[in-house]
Amino acid sequence: MSRSRHYSLTLRLALIFALLAFALLATLGVALYRELERELIRRDDTALISRVDQLRNLLSDSNTLDLIKTKPELFQNMLGNRESVLSIAAPGQPPLLLVNPANIELPAIEPVPGNHVLVLSDVQHLPGLNGIPFSTVAATINAGDLGSLQVTSGRLMTERTAVLASYRLSVYTLASIAAIILALAGYLLVHRGLLPLRRLARHAQGIGVGNLAERLDSEGAPKELLPMIESFNTMLERLSKGFVQLGQVSTDMAHELRTPINNLLGETQVALQQQRSVDSYQQLLASNVEELERLARMLDNMLFLARTDPASALRQRQALDAADEVERIADYFEGLAADAGMHIVVQGKGVIWAEPMLLRRALANLCANAIKYGAPGSALSVQAIATDEGVNVRVSNQGETIPAEHLPRLFERFYRVDESRERSSQSNGLGLSIVATIMQLHNGRYRVSSEDGITTFELFFPARD
Amino acid sequence: MNILVVEDEPKAGNYLLNGLQELGYSVSLARDGVDGLHQALETPFDVIVLDVMMPKMDGWEVLRRLRREADTPVLFLTARDDIADRIKGLELGADDYLIKPFSFAELVARLRTLTRRGPIREEEHLQIADLQIDVLKRRVTRAGTRITLTNKEFALLHLFATHQDQVLSRSLIASRVWDMNFDSDTNVVDVAVRRLRLKIDDPFQLKLIHSVRGIGYRFDTQP
Repeated sequence: MSRSRHYSLTLRLALIFALLAFALLATLGVALYRELERELIRRDDTALISRVDQLRNLLSDSNTLDLIKTKPELFQNMLGNRESVLSIAAPGQPPLLLVNPANIELPAIEPVPGNHVLVLSDVQHLPGLNGIPFSTVAATINAGDLGSLQVTSGRLMTERTAVLASYRLSVYTLASIAAIILALAGYLLVHRGLLPLRRLARHAQGIGVGNLAERLDSEGAPKELLPMIESFNTMLERLSKGFVQLGQVSTDMAHELRTPINNLLGETQVALQQQRSVDSYQQLLASNVEELERLARMLDNMLFLARTDPASALRQRQALDAADEVERIADYFEGLAADAGMHIVVQGKGVIWAEPMLLRRALANLCANAIKYGAPGSALSVQAIATDEGVNVRVSNQGETIPAEHLPRLFERFYRVDESRERSSQSNGLGLSIVATIMQLHNGRYRVSSEDGITTFELFFPARD
Repeated sequence: MNILVVEDEPKAGNYLLNGLQELGYSVSLARDGVDGLHQALETPFDVIVLDVMMPKMDGWEVLRRLRREADTPVLFLTARDDIADRIKGLELGADDYLIKPFSFAELVARLRTLTRRGPIREEEHLQIADLQIDVLKRRVTRAGTRITLTNKEFALLHLFATHQDQVLSRSLIASRVWDMNFDSDTNVVDVAVRRLRLKIDDPFQLKLIHSVRGIGYRFDTQP
């Protein structure tokens, strides 16, 4: 249901910008945070170890031990803050010295033997108090007369935790701010970037039937839009051309209708002016029938040209023997040609892949023209020449050369080389445009040439795939 | 022949009624689809001419309902020259169709074909007055004189001889003789008929081919 809903490109891009910015900055922040955390732990651990090392050195001296016993407050102040813990005790006895201002419960941990140098991995990290980590290290000291003592030093990492927490907060805040800024910037940028598109849309909206000649302005448009503008303008070009042609056809058709209707109206009105003999009424009616048939034919042709169903024509194609078809055409026009003092020469080979009625109609239109304009005593030649790609059908006659400027327009509807000569009742100026339509229906080609008194129409029917 | 014409357009209905009656057929006219269907179901007709575009009940509906009860041949008339329309008509059980405008002679020829019962027996020898046609040998003589005809001239004469007394339209002739099923802008048929006349009529007293003004030709021993 919502599949056809349109999404906003601007919004989508802004959101993507924001997400990307947040993800990128957050990842970077986390990486730096881990690095910082590791560094801080290392520093703290080193401090703990160095303290225990110092105590080791100090306590191996008996003077110092005496000092601890007599003046423990000296050592209590030594640590200087409330987070440190220090205990010195002989195994199984109450501690000689216990500095524990925060009253942290000391876990029992395995001391490092006296002959062992302390390393970072000897430091134990415990969950500690209220989620604040507690690091501690214990070592055995050989203290001469007193035997072996155990020194435990630890530290609650409140400061470190606070530093890290504030760092974390900064990372997330900064990433969020960056995301919001980028989202806004992205939104504005995309919105601005799409401005030319909206301008084009407004312009295109203004183009209608009245101003088809107008074109979209590519001035100031980004490079990415140029192909679209160009194809849109080409489409307008084609539309406006088609529109002009269509209008021309309607006008031409209206003009063509004038002649037969005028004849019908005039003749009938004159006939009704006074009483006439039955014979003259019959003559009138017969003449009316002629005009009406002309109208019906024109209608038929116009409908044929307007029909937009090439698929069915293509479906009805058959393999037709070229020799048969040219022979049939020759038979059909034999009498007409003889009347005009012409003879028909046919030659056909190959198989034409075409809809039979359309092929015959095209050939008949060409032959009718060829006879109409052929010189008496000359030959009308109809040839079908087979090639690998299809069959070329050529209809050529001898007569007046058609001036070159007319050739490209011959296949237009109602186009006539000589306005005055050809307005006979038999011709309606649609014959060749029907040929053109038929060839288009067959995905074929058509062309005409006229040189040295020989005019040749050539139709190419592509072979079956 | 008993014909029912269902046509709502007054002028068209009238000329169909008059034209067919003048040819000697018994014709009933219905002015709309409801009346047409009623008559068609009441009376057995030999053939029905049915207009498609009608108020109240259109031709398709009439045809659909008629076909539930009777298989009277139906020729439908349509003003729409599109293939889907024609196919629809034939699928509903119509037997033939004509697209308006059509020639009256064409309509008559189609009606005859629709009502012809049984297969047509091809005559091997035809005799019209003193004209003799040997169909198999394609030999034509008139008053004992051998007449040489081209293939198409023979086909044309054969068409005429097998449709005596009937008016044949130019488009019907073009389609039967040359298999050209479209109205061409040429007067090929007139020329062919003239050339045939030159051979079989001109040298003789009794003329067999008659022009019917505005319609076509008739082959008849009567003028």
